[in-house]
Amino acid sequence: MKVELEYVTTEDDEKATLKVREVTENIKSAVDMLENNCRSLSAVKDNETYMIRTDKIYYVESVDKRSYVYTKENCYETRYRLYELEEMLNADYFRCSKALIVNIRKIKSVHSELNGRMNAELLNGETIVISRSYVKDLKRKLGL
Amino acid sequence: MNKLKLVFNQTMMVSSAILFGLGLEALITHFMGDDKYFEWQWYIPLSIIATGFLSSVPSILLVDNEKLSKRQAYVRVILHFFCVWGIVMGCATVFDWYDTVAGFLIISLMYVVIYFFVWAASWWLMKSDEKKINEALEGIRDEE
Repeated sequence: MKVELEYVTTEDDEKATLKVREVTENIKSAVDMLENNCRSLSAVKDNETYMIRTDKIYYVESVDKRSYVYTKENCYETRYRLYELEEMLNADYFRCSKALIVNIRKIKSVHSELNGRMNAELLNGETIVISRSYVKDLKRKLGL
Repeated sequence: MNKLKLVFNQTMMVSSAILFGLGLEALITHFMGDDKYFEWQWYIPLSIIATGFLSSVPSILLVDNEKLSKRQAYVRVILHFFCVWGIVMGCATVFDWYDTVAGFLIISLMYVVIYFFVWAASWWLMKSDEKKINEALEGIRDEE
């Protein structure tokens, strides 16, 4: 697809027009990125496909080579592998264990445990584990 | 590799702790009995490092304790405490670090103090990290 950029002086004048033959997943994602400043990814729940905005995702988990996306109240399955999601998701996310990537903005608080790992309480009340070896990454991500 | 690194770090830490304990004992002896000099057998410095190394090996027990429950983790710590105490006292006997019951008790007491000091310091560092992370999360957390 050809991309043309035209510079304008004010934010009000900013506008994107896409000329497409069909609305693919990438196009939907691009629209979300432009409209909401975040991308979306496709995921399935009860045989229906949904586009999940990445800012609505709490965490992503890999179980038996399948990846699941968790939002505030729902769980969806996605075709992407965890390492692909790690590349797709923005800087708000970090890998907190071998099988889990969490959205830092959805962490309410963390509590350290005797064995060096941390428990993270999320805004929806769920608790996930941050492995000892990934605590350093979290601190780096937060600029500590 | 992580286990080797852990054993190496622990060896350094325990050896330093033993030297600190001996230094403290020498300091107290100096002020109590005005001893300006004391002699070591040729093998004492090496015996300190050997004890540091041997007492670090049980730490491997604690490396993979992330998947354990809180109760199991506590049991491992208690096991580790007695295991290391046995090694330290075994080394103390073999290397002739004491020759009276009082000496045995002093070394045991030094071990207990150092063991709890190391745990307390680690706990304090973890709690300090927890506080810093929670403060940093405060600024970026989403509103739900």
